[in-house]
Amino acid sequence: MSQFRPVREVMVVGVGLHAFGRFPEENLSDLARDAVVDALRDSGVPWSAIPVAYFGHVYYHGMSIGETTLAQLGLTGVPIINVENACSSGSTAFWQAYWGITSGVFDMALAFGAEKVPSGPVTVTAENSPARYIGGDHMMAGYALRMKRYMEETGAPASALAQVSVKARQAASMNPYAHRKETYSVEDVLNSRLIADPLTLYQCCPTSEGGAAAVLCAADALDTYGIDRSRAIRVAAAALTSGNYNGRGSDHSAFSPYRTEPAALQAYEMAGIGPEDVDIAQVHDAATIGELQQIEALHLTPFGEAWRATEEGRTALGGDIPVNTDGGLLAMGHPFGASGIRMVHETVTQLRGEAGPRQVENARVGVAQCSGAGDVTTVHILTR
Amino acid sequence: MVISVDERCLRLTDESGERGALLGMRCLQCGVHVFGPATFCQSCTSPDLEEVELSADGTLYSYTIVRVPPSGWPGPVPYVLGETELPEGPHVLAEVIDCAHEDLRVGMPVTLALQTVGMDGIEGSERAVYKWRPV
Ligand SMILES: [Zn+2]
Repeated sequence: MSQFRPVREVMVVGVGLHAFGRFPEENLSDLARDAVVDALRDSGVPWSAIPVAYFGHVYYHGMSIGETTLAQLGLTGVPIINVENACSSGSTAFWQAYWGITSGVFDMALAFGAEKVPSGPVTVTAENSPARYIGGDHMMAGYALRMKRYMEETGAPASALAQVSVKARQAASMNPYAHRKETYSVEDVLNSRLIADPLTLYQCCPTSEGGAAAVLCAADALDTYGIDRSRAIRVAAAALTSGNYNGRGSDHSAFSPYRTEPAALQAYEMAGIGPEDVDIAQVHDAATIGELQQIEALHLTPFGEAWRATEEGRTALGGDIPVNTDGGLLAMGHPFGASGIRMVHETVTQLRGEAGPRQVENARVGVAQCSGAGDVTTVHILTR
Repeated sequence: MVISVDERCLRLTDESGERGALLGMRCLQCGVHVFGPATFCQSCTSPDLEEVELSADGTLYSYTIVRVPPSGWPGPVPYVLGETELPEGPHVLAEVIDCAHEDLRVGMPVTLALQTVGMDGIEGSERAVYKWRPV
């Protein structure tokens, strides 16, 4: 039972990126602006025609940073909304852009995201939180707990998890925007430094900086704005959920991956398709275990079997369900505000047939799934 | 008198901070328990909740040995972080103490243990913190 009633069909008509990596010379606004300019150029739509913008970012860089960023493009007076939703901040901005258009309020919208991040382990709680005494507020330790349990329950060997990271680097080696492009072996991954057993360094995404942007437009307004219909990609579903007790998350596990499932089911229902129709997927692989569990929560494989699909090469480029075709968080890196829109960027690029050496033959349906603290999950389905 | 690390989650029952109980809320409508405070039931959203002391004994649902600690961590490095499943249902994350790494097992029984911890060089920062210890 869906509580959402999309009214108008919405298309992504432009996508843009600022490369992911470390950019000490550039501030948050620089990263964001470059991505926005890139997306506007891709769409052919001038900034003056954009009626609303949503900016995803997590770390604080001053009030109304979205407004000061876009002021560089011209003070057009449009509403600009700053969005913080943890690792899903960018995809939440995209979700809002979609709903702003499908509801009939706007003809177009800009969703963009960027991040400048400190290095070191990522914590979720505030500096003076009791969590600091307890030692559980540690993003990668959380993934390590899931990984240990997953390996115990499914019998997945460490090598299968390492393969997720090897695959990510193989894809990233063909992506000029990626933070980490050098390839490595399963042995390299397993022999890298332990962060939180059994998770090794090369199984954790780097904390990276970067920017991403997307221009969305109502399908019925494409001609009004002179947009090239042949490169427009349809948003078939946009789902955003928070913790759902009665989802499969009701195992009470603090790091249950199955909280993705309700968002996935909602998205499949909205799109009128099932997991069997999905050609490519971008999922939240902040750690190797994340990719496996998100694949399962999206029902792309049965629960407990994504590690086998990975070992068999089914999730690699050339496999039957290619996952994280641009290198994912593991190789692109993870600027929180940008990652969700980066997934949309890759999906659109693939569905347009413009992914160059990474191109998946005949990709028509792509899923982009992003997770964040607070059990935030977004699932977007894009179709050609 | 030692202060609880979080009075909504851990009630101390002696002045030394060595004894206490984890606190939770039980739903009078559907019976679901949550660890820590809640205003309405997480499962059925009923407002009819009562505060309860949760069981001190549970089983280790998962664990990890944290080699790179989060900023502000006042304990030893590495440390063992355990996710313990209580008989009432909730999972509670805390350090596992007094256990050699090679003896850690998923499913092993653990019990609540309190330790007083202070933040390095910060006066008055001592708190009684809940931990897990093998039975
Ligand atoms: Zn209830």
